[in-house]
Amino acid sequence: MTMRFIEKFVDGLSSIWLSCTLLTLLGLLTWLGTLEQVNTGLFEVQRKYFDSIFLIHKAGPIAIPLPGAALVMGVLFVNLLLGGILRLRKDSSTWGILVTHVGILMLIVAGYVKFAFAEDGHVTLYEGERSNTFESYHHWEIAASEALPSGELREIVSKQEFFENAVPGAEARLRSTDLPFEIEVTHFLANCRVLPKGPMVSASVPVIEGYFLDEQPKEAQNEGNIAGAYVALVDRANGARKEAILWGASRDPWTVEFGGRKFGIELRREQWVMPFSVALEDFEKEDHPRMMMPKSFSSEVVVTEGGADRKVKISMNEPLRQKGLVLYQASWGPSNARPGDPLFSTLAVVRNPADQYPLYSCLVIALGLVMHFGRKLFKHIRAESLRNASAATSAQKAS
Amino acid sequence: MPVFEKKKRDRYSMAELRPCVEKLFELARQYGRIEEKDRKPVEQQVFALAINVNDYLQLENHFAHARFDFDTSGTPELRRIFGADSAPASQVIAKVPEVMGLRELLSRNPERAEELKTATMLLQEVSELVGGTESLALIPSLGSVEKEAAWHSPVDLLQRAFEQEKLEAPYVEMLGRFERVARAAGDPAAFEASMASLHESVIAQASTRGEYEKIPLEISYYKANLIQNSLVVFILGFLLVAGLWLFPRVKALYWGANLSVFAAMALLTGAIVMRCMIRERPPVSTLYETILFVTATGTLFALVAEWIGRHRLALSAAAILGVIGLFIANGYETLDKKDTMPQLVAVLDTNFWLATHVTAITIGYSAGMLAALVSSVYLIARVLGIKRQDKEFSKNLTRMTYGTLAFGLIFSVVGTILGGIWANESWGRFWGWDPKENGALLICLAQILMLHLRMGGYVREFGLHMFAAFGGTVVAFSWFGVNLLGVGLHSYGFTSGIHTALWTYYGIEWGLMAVAFVHYVIVRSREAAVREALAAAGKTPGASQQGT
Repeated sequence: MTMRFIEKFVDGLSSIWLSCTLLTLLGLLTWLGTLEQVNTGLFEVQRKYFDSIFLIHKAGPIAIPLPGAALVMGVLFVNLLLGGILRLRKDSSTWGILVTHVGILMLIVAGYVKFAFAEDGHVTLYEGERSNTFESYHHWEIAASEALPSGELREIVSKQEFFENAVPGAEARLRSTDLPFEIEVTHFLANCRVLPKGPMVSASVPVIEGYFLDEQPKEAQNEGNIAGAYVALVDRANGARKEAILWGASRDPWTVEFGGRKFGIELRREQWVMPFSVALEDFEKEDHPRMMMPKSFSSEVVVTEGGADRKVKISMNEPLRQKGLVLYQASWGPSNARPGDPLFSTLAVVRNPADQYPLYSCLVIALGLVMHFGRKLFKHIRAESLRNASAATSAQKAS
Repeated sequence: MPVFEKKKRDRYSMAELRPCVEKLFELARQYGRIEEKDRKPVEQQVFALAINVNDYLQLENHFAHARFDFDTSGTPELRRIFGADSAPASQVIAKVPEVMGLRELLSRNPERAEELKTATMLLQEVSELVGGTESLALIPSLGSVEKEAAWHSPVDLLQRAFEQEKLEAPYVEMLGRFERVARAAGDPAAFEASMASLHESVIAQASTRGEYEKIPLEISYYKANLIQNSLVVFILGFLLVAGLWLFPRVKALYWGANLSVFAAMALLTGAIVMRCMIRERPPVSTLYETILFVTATGTLFALVAEWIGRHRLALSAAAILGVIGLFIANGYETLDKKDTMPQLVAVLDTNFWLATHVTAITIGYSAGMLAALVSSVYLIARVLGIKRQDKEFSKNLTRMTYGTLAFGLIFSVVGTILGGIWANESWGRFWGWDPKENGALLICLAQILMLHLRMGGYVREFGLHMFAAFGGTVVAFSWFGVNLLGVGLHSYGFTSGIHTALWTYYGIEWGLMAVAFVHYVIVRSREAAVREALAAAGKTPGASQQGT
């Protein structure tokens, strides 16, 4: 009985009917996600339609439950593996299909590796500046830093996923043996501004030293959101609390003293350390003559690794690959700079273990498709030639 | 605003518009304060019209400074500088440093305030008239392309004269040549001679800078008018094909149609090749070029299919596709109102990816549109009952659709993945769910789904053609539709004015599918009724059933 059920289940999972259903769903999600971008920014659309397991799509007043693209692609992977490879009839007529399916599986794996393990952000430098870190466009972190007597800076960092759902009653508590206090996050707001609490202003969140975080609607471009959080540092020795507002656009960290040790607490974009540093020597933007259209932009950087310097030019379509990281020319500014003003260059930084997988899968898929359809074309041409020859013979006989 | 009679085609001469120009500019200033995405269509149109009128007025006044001499008799020093009581703009521009020096001298002596005013007025008058020449840079730079890429307009040279100690003599000479052309306006012989002299000097300087090499080819391209000629020959091919439908046994019509469509395709290919040579780019780098390329490759596939099968269907499809494609190309050019060989934005400045990704994806479009066309023919024939008894006719259409889709799938899938690899090289991510990327994915998904449905037996002949016709609208959405959404990284392809054409195509295709589906349901239910009646009468169904 159980075996029969398993067999039926595997039959269903490997069926072509399921493939068709999944392809239809993926097409539908892609189409809805494309149209939705007009009203909602790409980041939100991506989270809702493409990175999700399940979603509710609102078509006017009607709420339609749909599986998310992550779920659809996960099931498609299993369906393809079972039906398109393991259970596929293997003879000379299906080799091309088999190879194509292997290529598509490689592509889905590449997508998953990128989704699960890649880090992406940017490093923005004015000419003359140097950095060995890059920061996220989208995610935040709370960092507690302490200057050690040795002169080093020790940082204790907590990622956004640990505190983004914090609400009064379900606060997020961040602990470290290196800290004499716990950081209790009571509120996290994805986009907000700091306002003074006047008599005419009402606030549904705590007011600290006359200020509060005023929640704002999310920007269409997620990079434009400035997050904020209410935190309390709870002394681990006596339970004493020090409360503050952290805001993502603050220039300086909140400095506090615990038992003679000084700490800086800040909410900032998630950061990663690079195994090398880059210094921007020169940024060059060239427009087409007498037009406002950019012809090229490029950054001359010095990459320093292990005491050795290397000059590199990073431009559109010509990124720098170093130590598993890829640095791309992403943007520049300020957009209103006048000739002679100092410019900054933004280099997108990506660490993607599956960086080159799509290229390999593309080659495999192309090979598979050419094998399969090439064979079919060859058969078709042969059949047509025979048909035409026999028609000509019949015509000759008739005459 | 003065009211004039509204014309049927809303085309007005500048003379008719001139009394309204002030009001037009006032409205444009008002609408310009509104964000472009928030402007109503009429506001956007007024804004665009004002820009065009402004450009026209600038061009109209471009030679205003060159038509007469400026008074230089105001002070003895001015007369000495210019050696006469008047001087053309070129001389005034050349002597700007000296006049500035004179102003400096005069400003130290309060008794010569009137003469100071005269010298200042001279510079002001020249600046005012030369100031409107910014939009047309016809004077090649003296430096190399690397050092000085841009050509100059008279106002650039005036600015140069103000900024530098002295304006280089060849520039002064070039300005003088323009003046001679402007002043010869009433004398055809003098005009021709001065124009030839100007032309020669511009060519000489452009050649020195290595910028003239492609110009004769570009002139030949426009003179040959290959695209319009191709359209004419495609129309001829279409007429011969139509004749062939009426007189299928006339071989001369068949070969004439073949020859015409092939010749039209060759002319179009010639135009594309010339464009590649002029631009030193692969065949597709703009939206306009995708239309030409889709038309050329689509007709080529159809001709190859005709050569293999000789069923006349592919030949008809080639003729129809050629005519429709080039009408769309003409319409797009008219709507877009821009140079069809523009400069490319930084990210597109890569011939490798243009040659691989863009070409592959465009071949995928071409196959998708050809398949949709063939399937539309099938659906129309089915609804109208044309060749109902000729099963071979339907089979041939189905074979052609399947083959085209299979061919297109290879290019759509490979082209889409190559696009991802390019995005990975340029923007640091393989896939970003950008509308244009999603459009390409939708084409792949639609074609893969179609082939799997057929393989699984869920659709047969009729279903395949319904899907292929729908696939045409998916291609159109990806090709043009996503550009109308106004979001995404592929902002270099945005086009306005194609909304109506696109929805017309959607409407025709979806309408045809709806009619075909209703027809299919009616026929099936009638057949079922006949079967039931025969079964009730104890007979087996006849051979008149239609396959699906």
